[in-house]
Amino acid sequence: MIDNREGLARMRTLQLIVFCIFALLAGRLFYIQLVDPRYGELARINTLRRVVQYPARGEVFDRNGEYLVQSRACYDLMAVYKELDRKGFDTARFCAVTGIAIHRLRRGLADASVSPRVPTVIAKYLSKEDKLRFDECNFTGFYTVYRTIREYPRKIGGNLLGYVGEVNDNIVKNNPEYRPGDYIGMSGVERSYEKLLKGRKGVKVQQVDNHGVVKDSYMNGRYDSLPEAGTYLVSTIDARLQLLGEELMRGKVGAAVAIEPATGEILMMVSSPSYDPDELLGRERGNNYMRLLHDKRHPLFNRAVMARYPPGSTFKLVQGLIGQQEGVLKPSDRHPCNMGYRAGKLKMACHSHASPLDLRFAVATSCNAYFCYVFRDILENPKYGSPKKGFEVWREYVESFGFGHKLGSDFLDEGTGYIPERSFYDRRYRGSWNALTVLSLSIGQGELGCTPLQLANLACIVANRGYYYIPHIIKKIEGCDSIDRRFYERHYTKVDAKYFEPIVEGMWNGVNVAGTSWLAKLPGLDVCGKTGTAQNPDGRDHSTFLSFAPKDNPRIAISVYVEHGGFGASTALPIASLLEEYYLTDTIRRPELLQYVKNIQLPNYVQP
Amino acid sequence: MSSLDRRPARLFEGIDGIAVLLYVLIVLVGCLSITSASYDDTVGGGLFSFSHFYMKQAVWVAVAWTAAVAVLLLDERFYHMFAWPAYVAGIAMLVAALLFGREVNGAKAWFEFGSFRIQPVEFVKIATSLALARVMSAYSFSVNRPGHLLKVALVICLPLSIIVLQNDTGSGIVLGSFLFVLYREGLNKWLCVPILLIATLFIISFLLTPMTLLVLSIVVCTLCDAILNRAWKSRIIYLASLAFASIVLQAAAAYFAPGAMTLYHSLLTVTIASLIAVAVYAYRNTLNNTYIIISMFIGMMIFFPTTNYIFNSILKEHQQKRIESFLGIINDPRGIDYNVNQSKIAIGSGGFIGKGFMEGTQIRYGFVPERHTDFIFCTVGEEWGFVGTMLVLALFCLLILRLMRMGERQEEPFGRIYCYCVASILLFHVLVNVGMTIGLVPVMGIPLPLVSYGGSSLIAFTLLIFIAIRLDAATRQFSLNKF
Repeated sequence: MIDNREGLARMRTLQLIVFCIFALLAGRLFYIQLVDPRYGELARINTLRRVVQYPARGEVFDRNGEYLVQSRACYDLMAVYKELDRKGFDTARFCAVTGIAIHRLRRGLADASVSPRVPTVIAKYLSKEDKLRFDECNFTGFYTVYRTIREYPRKIGGNLLGYVGEVNDNIVKNNPEYRPGDYIGMSGVERSYEKLLKGRKGVKVQQVDNHGVVKDSYMNGRYDSLPEAGTYLVSTIDARLQLLGEELMRGKVGAAVAIEPATGEILMMVSSPSYDPDELLGRERGNNYMRLLHDKRHPLFNRAVMARYPPGSTFKLVQGLIGQQEGVLKPSDRHPCNMGYRAGKLKMACHSHASPLDLRFAVATSCNAYFCYVFRDILENPKYGSPKKGFEVWREYVESFGFGHKLGSDFLDEGTGYIPERSFYDRRYRGSWNALTVLSLSIGQGELGCTPLQLANLACIVANRGYYYIPHIIKKIEGCDSIDRRFYERHYTKVDAKYFEPIVEGMWNGVNVAGTSWLAKLPGLDVCGKTGTAQNPDGRDHSTFLSFAPKDNPRIAISVYVEHGGFGASTALPIASLLEEYYLTDTIRRPELLQYVKNIQLPNYVQP
Repeated sequence: MSSLDRRPARLFEGIDGIAVLLYVLIVLVGCLSITSASYDDTVGGGLFSFSHFYMKQAVWVAVAWTAAVAVLLLDERFYHMFAWPAYVAGIAMLVAALLFGREVNGAKAWFEFGSFRIQPVEFVKIATSLALARVMSAYSFSVNRPGHLLKVALVICLPLSIIVLQNDTGSGIVLGSFLFVLYREGLNKWLCVPILLIATLFIISFLLTPMTLLVLSIVVCTLCDAILNRAWKSRIIYLASLAFASIVLQAAAAYFAPGAMTLYHSLLTVTIASLIAVAVYAYRNTLNNTYIIISMFIGMMIFFPTTNYIFNSILKEHQQKRIESFLGIINDPRGIDYNVNQSKIAIGSGGFIGKGFMEGTQIRYGFVPERHTDFIFCTVGEEWGFVGTMLVLALFCLLILRLMRMGERQEEPFGRIYCYCVASILLFHVLVNVGMTIGLVPVMGIPLPLVSYGGSSLIAFTLLIFIAIRLDAATRQFSLNKF
């Protein structure tokens, strides 16, 4: 037995213990409920799921308001594995209705079975027709989610418009606004104008249970937002011209670019071989992409802005202009040409024509010897003391024509071309070289590399008599008064306008009077042109043609470059001429020429 | 003082109204919480269908209250007499459950009758409380007499060991809470200290490596000895020579038999060998307390491996994991920590006033497991916030204090001991159940009294409390009638 006083004392101790235990519990509750803010956040992470609603991607129109790219409804087929009717499910019928290959369905269902209550994508890009058929059949556990896919009404401009793909892990890591499953422009216009085209995703905040099953919308949708479609773009491209250009370039390797000289708007840009833009869409995109990537003709390579071609004789225009500006050449200067240019052991061959000849005639007939003299005079200008110094001056002029660097167009993957630097030759020839060593530059051969876009830009410069606007592909953005400011600035070359007249006349003569470009003559249109035939180590000469029309107030400047096309006049010229005719008159009056171009067989062309 | 004098003038005279009120409030809190935790609109049959847990619980409440009235109607001397038969019946039920019962959640502790189950352990708590009260209220009983203490230990340990065998360790440990009662009844303070000390050592022995434990025990024991005998210099020399000798031994072992001995083994060998010298030293200087410290050290050396043995071979894997998880040895929020983690999230996200009745997302969307049974407190925490949890804790605290007060005013030790038993069981349940939902205590599958869903538990706790109220009422009727 315990006595009362001791018992009372012990009761007090025990009461104290009870108090302490409850104080401990209360203190802990105070901490986790009122002090520590983590738990509220964790609870939201537990229960809230953000469901993305995808916006329609912006459309692209051509300059006449015709669709180049549209967005079309398509559907992702989803499945919740646990809700499937696994006994009554008719696989064969399902595949027939939805057009999904059976092995894909099996793989999709296997993926879905990993987390049986979570919606899983079984197949993407279900067409509207398939979706409607699917809806009629009532397969339990399956449903569709609305998305959009690109559509190309004219099937043109594959490399120009680019394609859209699903973001990869790398993109997601570097751009936090993208989530796996989003689409992104991978090349061309789609890539350059991704920010405008993509639109804004909408979101639905849902409450889910511990199995991921949706229970309710969060706060009655207070934090939900609707998707906003991407802005539409108006392209500078003329769809009909582009279509003709692609038809004419079919079966040839090369590029054709047409620009409106007064604005720098790219009217047409063909890179050949190209591909049907529909191939890089939808379910077969991955397979087609790999096929195109490994195609020996490199259809995914946008030659129009990325290739580096020797400009050939078209570069003589630049030499003539620099010579005049430097004061070493007057239009009336005559140089002899006896089947070529000779200096010691060196010989630069030329074709037969009248000799001696002046600048206009030299441009018209594309005389090699004449421009060898001009180039030598520029480099050996006594003003500069040495041909190396003279070369540096020459190079600065050439750069002012937009060569050797990116033009700054709205193609992100635009190439730079290549103009060799003095140091390049110093290294190659260990410091001992002169004008004769680099003489092949005079006729656009040697180490020169130009993109077809740069060549078309040269045609613009000549057409404008001394300046250009940066070529661009988009002329209007929905909701914007103007495009980027850089496209409104004139870029002047270092050659004054007055020196352009003899060159333009020479080009006009070459087409309309007597010269290499007579085939390009179009009655009443005053076409000016310059052929080019570029030798290359890989085989037959490249064929190129620069042209603009009409001579005064030109509306189109064009450059066509056909790899291994032979003489400039035989392949590139007819293509350019037909394009000019079609753009300026809306008709083609020379069906035999059209037929000729379509039937050209190029020996080096790799058959697909 | 004949029995006729003590006949109640009115049926429920002397009943402690406050205790009954607290009981009713807690039961109502339980009903509300279960409704919120288990309401599922996908279950057919409408709001009042008996497929809902809260409707079943309503039935149990009705049964429990009927039982409460029955308890109040019986004479209090009945419980005195009933103690031993109840205890025997309880043990028999436990054994039967162990042999023929049904296994639920790993514990073979249930009887199944058709669609409902009974967990005998809930009723064994009542029987053991009665038996304990009966033993300890015997004439000339003293809790500090070894023979009497052994009796008490037997009464507690018999059901406890069967419950542990049933693999229902959590419920078994509840009976350990009778230490609370023993203390009130005059158990020597110095007996309580080692019991708590062992519990502390038990936990420490998991957290530290054997080497650290050994060094720690040597240092602590030497330190105690130094303090008690006020001799510092020789103790420090002793420690230094231990270290030196063990390093020499280790070096020698490494030379003659590489890899045969670790530093731990060397130190242990040297220390045990030195104990003989220490004993001789103590005998010569007549230092009695040094003997105690030597035996303490030996006790520790035996205790540590034993805990490991108990931990590894007696506790089941999930129990080991719960303890390891609680001690922070393992951290696995998707696996073993999932329950506690989700439960903390639910309670923590409740904030000050909570999310409102039936608005708790963590509860309603199933993130908290066992949300209507063991983790029912999460519903209170999430839906009623800090206000709600404090209110519920306050109700329990008041009920426990009230039971202690009722115990104190008993004339006879039987009633007092019984009331304390009830208070200690309630206290332990609340501490462990609420503690585990907020990460203070390792997870043990024991319910929150009167709140968690479950018929056995509700009825057993009702009986437990109302027997205490009945015993108290008898005392008060007696004192009322006397004057």
